[in-house]
Amino acid sequence: MIETTEAAKSGWWVVSVKGRADAEAADQLESALRAAIEAHPKVAADMAALDYISSAGLRAVIQAARAAQTKSSEFAVCSPSASVQKVFKMSGMQHILTIHGELPC
Amino acid sequence: MKPYPPLCQNQAILTETEIVLDGRVSELRRISAEVAKFCREHSLSEDVEFDLNLVLEELFMNSVNHGGCEGMENAAQVRLQLLSGEIVAEYADRGRAFDPFSAPEPDVDAPLNERPAGGLGVHLVRQTMRDWNYRRDGEWNRTTMRRNL
Repeated sequence: MIETTEAAKSGWWVVSVKGRADAEAADQLESALRAAIEAHPKVAADMAALDYISSAGLRAVIQAARAAQTKSSEFAVCSPSASVQKVFKMSGMQHILTIHGELPC
Repeated sequence: MKPYPPLCQNQAILTETEIVLDGRVSELRRISAEVAKFCREHSLSEDVEFDLNLVLEELFMNSVNHGGCEGMENAAQVRLQLLSGEIVAEYADRGRAFDPFSAPEPDVDAPLNERPAGGLGVHLVRQTMRDWNYRRDGEWNRTTMRRNL
């Protein structure tokens, strides 16, 4: 189960992600991020309230990053919890994503 | 007379739980509910709960998406055993015979446009657990793995 809410903040379009980014929720997460990237030049995914992520959730984030790269727009991931950060690190996400400890805006 | 506790490799099994799963993605909710219950009952940390969820989801989704378990009743079984200082997890499915650890490791240092789509799930299992072992047992694929508490 995942919930996303969106708001503009200091030049960034912030998609706040809450819940679990598992295989059941991955498509919903990817759609929300891609729609935001389609509509806005600077998108930040706020993961402060994301409790869990698996490889399916990672793939959704990777696909969003790819969409942003194609469009030459900015995409950042912010405030992941320690557990989510651990999964990012095991997957080498720091090489392919811009990850901020806090919101960039 | 006090009965002897059951043993696993000469260690007493303090407790165990078993989950039977049908081959559909919504069963992830049951995995997470059962893992949460197991961890709460035995005062295990949130890190342990997170890691068990992660490895069980990865193995289960491989069975559903690639192992032929989609739509199968009683497609998979999970057994969690709490031993002194560690957890032994066994994941079994009735899909095609496949050793998940035979797949090549993905390059997690590759740039975005060179990332392959698959292989990440089993990589996370390898990174999270130790002593993982696969065997084919009749119609079952059985993976056992351990995690220190």
